[in-house]
Amino acid sequence: MMEIIKVNQLNKSFGKNHVLKDISFTVNKGDVMAIIGSSGSGKSTLLRCLIDLEKADSGDIIMEGKPLLKDGVYPSPPEIRAIIMKMGMVFQHFNLFPHLTVRQNLELAPKVVKKEETAAMNQRCEAYLNKVGLLERIDAMPSTLSGGEKQRVAIARALMMNPDILLFDEPTSALDPELTGEVLNVMQSLANEHMTMVVVTHEMSFAREVANKVVFMDSGTILEEGSPEDIFIHPQEKRTQEFLSSILREQKKTSKKYRLKKYC
Amino acid sequence: MSDFYIYLSNITLPMLQGMVITLSVFAVTIVCSLPLGFMFTLMARSRLKPVKSLAKGYIYVVRGTPLLLQIMFVYFGLPLLPVVGDYLIFGRFTAACIAFCMNYAAYFAEIFRGGLLAIDKGQYEAAKVLGLTKIETMIRVVIPQMIRVCLPAISNETITLVKDTALVTVIGVAEILHYAKTAVNRDGDTFAFLVAAALYLLINFVITMVFKKLETKYEF
Repeated sequence: MMEIIKVNQLNKSFGKNHVLKDISFTVNKGDVMAIIGSSGSGKSTLLRCLIDLEKADSGDIIMEGKPLLKDGVYPSPPEIRAIIMKMGMVFQHFNLFPHLTVRQNLELAPKVVKKEETAAMNQRCEAYLNKVGLLERIDAMPSTLSGGEKQRVAIARALMMNPDILLFDEPTSALDPELTGEVLNVMQSLANEHMTMVVVTHEMSFAREVANKVVFMDSGTILEEGSPEDIFIHPQEKRTQEFLSSILREQKKTSKKYRLKKYC
Repeated sequence: MSDFYIYLSNITLPMLQGMVITLSVFAVTIVCSLPLGFMFTLMARSRLKPVKSLAKGYIYVVRGTPLLLQIMFVYFGLPLLPVVGDYLIFGRFTAACIAFCMNYAAYFAEIFRGGLLAIDKGQYEAAKVLGLTKIETMIRVVIPQMIRVCLPAISNETITLVKDTALVTVIGVAEILHYAKTAVNRDGDTFAFLVAAALYLLINFVITMVFKKLETKYEF
């Protein structure tokens, strides 16, 4: 199996706060890895280290055989850029460019970074928007979109760069509960097409149904990892059990009302 | 009645000549001080300590002293400096433009600084993960958003600039107010001041319209 990302003994501190402690894991091609855990457990920081939005202090991050970080040392900025361009990222707060239309949001990076030819780019733009169900909003400004639509545009924007792996940082946490389904649907369809994904999420049902690997993080360490069955049905650690029962109790309250109907 | 029109045209024609000078000082200042101001903004954000201190010190001094004093300093003061003074002798118009550019650059630098603060960190992150370089991010993502945030403040400052150009009479640049004063002193009639006021209002009316257009264009 082809390794996309290999992380080895990764450490990161913010001042005295040791947020990632000797993290190691591997993501293979086609994996959908869900990272779960309570807030402050370091899961977002871990994801941000993978794509160089945070600098780790020590360890290795190897992306398709090329080191983004080797023994705590980063390569030159152009090399870093070449490596992270193989990855896409979807943010909790979408981070669409508000001054550009949906089309311009999708086409900015291919045009500026890859100098892609306009006709081919337009075609791909329309195809991806169609895929996320927003072709008719192609000329809309982001401020006129709903949260769920913004996040679907953000996913299409990330896809435009043809990434080998997509990172999601709590993609549905900023959405109203009734809008999470449309975003999760898109992620589900990407998973069906064997897109490699790492998803930091509070959506336990997504982790359970869509992911093939689940990682449970607690205070900066990977406490437990395995298949969804291992984690959700036979959790080994007491902390995992506590976390799951508390979050499931929490989500049950809302799920009755809204979600989980469409995409499962 | 016809006497009035003759008098009006007699005092207005030279003032229109003055208006050309006023508009020239204005145009030179806008064209030069906006980029210069943005340069100071970037310098004040620099990680290099000396560059940062230089920009901050410059802004502090320029904002902390009267513009009138700065105009006089550039025209009368600079040539008296030891060694370099001989190279810093400027004509009246040039001296006025230099003083205005330097002064307004400091104010624009602060306006742009505010504009940059308003831009979400997520915008830089999104641009970075899409592979844009820092310069591409600045040009394609940050500056267009910054302009929108800054436009009302820039509009305000631009209107102030038009009125401030009246200060250049102190070094004898013949702009609107210069001719108005001449007419008032000569005829003992303050009517010329009213005409001058009307001309400033006219310029600012056009500027207000232009900025209104710009603000709609940059709306998102």
